[in-house]
Amino acid sequence: MSTVTRLRAAALPALSVVLVSGVLAVQLANGGGHFVPLRPANSCVIRSADSVATGIDGLTEELVVTGLNAAACQLGVSREAFALQLTQPGPRTDAQINALRAGLLIAVDTLKADGKLPKASKLAREVIDLSNLSGFRKAALRAVPDALIDKTLTTDDVLRHTINDLDLRALLGNLGNRHDLNAQVNAAVMKAVLESLGNDLHCC
Amino acid sequence: MRRVAAALLALTVGCVLADSAVVTLALPEILVRLHTTVGQVAWVLIAFNLVLAVIVRPAAWFYKKHDAAVLCAVGIAVFAGASALCAVAGSLDVLIIARSVQAVGGAFAVIGSLQLLVEELTERRGTAWWIAAGVFGTAIGPMAGGLLTDAFSWRSIFVVQVPIAVLAVPAALATRRRSGHSRAEAAVDTEKHRVRIRPNIALALLSAALSAALFLFVLLLVDGWRRSPAVAAVTVSVIPLAALLARPLDRTLRSGPLAQTMSGCLLIAGGLTGLALLPSAALAWTIAPQALVGLGLGLTLDPLTLQAMDGRLPHFLHGGWTIAARHAGVVLGLAILTPVFTADLRSAQPPAENAITALVLNAPLEPQDKIAIARGLADRLKQDSGRVPDLHPAFAQLHVSAVEQPAAAQLERDLDRQLERAATHAFRNAFLIGAALALAALLALIPLRRRGGV
Repeated sequence: MSTVTRLRAAALPALSVVLVSGVLAVQLANGGGHFVPLRPANSCVIRSADSVATGIDGLTEELVVTGLNAAACQLGVSREAFALQLTQPGPRTDAQINALRAGLLIAVDTLKADGKLPKASKLAREVIDLSNLSGFRKAALRAVPDALIDKTLTTDDVLRHTINDLDLRALLGNLGNRHDLNAQVNAAVMKAVLESLGNDLHCC
Repeated sequence: MRRVAAALLALTVGCVLADSAVVTLALPEILVRLHTTVGQVAWVLIAFNLVLAVIVRPAAWFYKKHDAAVLCAVGIAVFAGASALCAVAGSLDVLIIARSVQAVGGAFAVIGSLQLLVEELTERRGTAWWIAAGVFGTAIGPMAGGLLTDAFSWRSIFVVQVPIAVLAVPAALATRRRSGHSRAEAAVDTEKHRVRIRPNIALALLSAALSAALFLFVLLLVDGWRRSPAVAAVTVSVIPLAALLARPLDRTLRSGPLAQTMSGCLLIAGGLTGLALLPSAALAWTIAPQALVGLGLGLTLDPLTLQAMDGRLPHFLHGGWTIAARHAGVVLGLAILTPVFTADLRSAQPPAENAITALVLNAPLEPQDKIAIARGLADRLKQDSGRVPDLHPAFAQLHVSAVEQPAAAQLERDLDRQLERAATHAFRNAFLIGAALALAALLALIPLRRRGGV
């Protein structure tokens, strides 16, 4: 076989190798092979969540999302996987409920450390407005000065009280019903505010 | 008149071999219209290729005993009737049965057309017309099917085949009037050559790899990336267009048939690897890998079929072997790749759900809107289980304030991107297996020993 024939025979395979290598190199250089779904973040890296909502709705969302992260860390899963578990129908395990409660308590500390908790007076006023208390009781509570509320109550204490008293199984059952969900959260916060105020004012 | 008859017979060969993959782009629509599953709808493709692969060799045996023109005309008529039945099929079972009958008629039509084309033209030209029609049909099939599905419906794919086949019936019979009906005896009397194994094995493996390129890629485009069949059809037109470059390239370089076919295998393997490693779901990124596949197709199918048939007698027998090898390859490819990508699609679901959950949790929306979206998405995921879900209905039924609408639209786009990523990733292994099949074809072509060596 002459050199020219050999070169001719090698030309097309060589061109093919160059074309294939070129295409694959360009693709790999532009992220080929890494075009995969977003990976969930490590749930054990504590980070507080943000919410576009204001008032008690925003605070609740920030607490829940931050708390989900901490709870997921305890269970050794991602925040997303834990959230999906909680949306599944059927009963919740004690481990899930305990982890969620512990996560929410950690979320209170995280939000407090980040300076994201509102003053107790602001929280109390909003809860009073949303509550189904009688007009007389609402008026009486509104008469308590902000300074006195902030002196006797701290938001983190109210929230811890609320979280410890919350029936989380019932809360998760209400996920699909906005009205019931809000009513349950507001009632729990209201109860915590009233009990804390009552205790503190009574004792002082 | 001879040319018209020859053209109609070649067109019929193109139609029959295009049918191997013509419904690929219509599968998503058939899946919805006939209320079936991905695994079941794949049988619309598998049944045709399997029956054709199994029947074509026994069909060639009939041509030894009977008049080729009559057998071919009957085959074409059965193909036309079955195509009409496919067009009106009201259930998947009827469609699969009609496709199987279509393959039986197609097998007789293709083998008979080869014999008649050789008789009508010369041996060399008749074989060349037959091979070119087959390669053209294979390459153009998915694109034509996609355009017809988008313009009309999946049924139109079968409707357009009926008049072509109906016209080819008298064309086949006309050849009988011109040259008598002693072909069968003549064929029996001719010298019989042994089947060339190597090019037939390479054809089977390459067809398996090409089924990955065509079947999986259009499924990725339509089902994974939610492109319309027309967009998908235009996209996959890169493959036949690139295949057209093969001949001038080969004429320029004149590397020889072995170098040509081995290069083709390498290009197909490279192209499929490229489809497995796409950097994004932008259609532009698919052009270069598809061009490699198309160029490889042009460099391999035509010369390999010629290698398997060149100088081999009787023509219909060796032509039958190439058809059997190619369609058995398609069935092999579908049999290997369908369970791989359906399993990968299933295992892609949890990461996709996690990504969707993360985006919903982090979205700048009111909590109650997030909960509404999450419920809608959960419904879609449940409804489209085992497939790439269409998330749009979850957003279409959402009532958000005007202020939040841009954020909701952005969330929908972000979620669609995550699904594109998940789907692309889910098809990766199947494309890589396709590439491995093309490399196996290359290995099958490597000569084990030099002819005339010591």
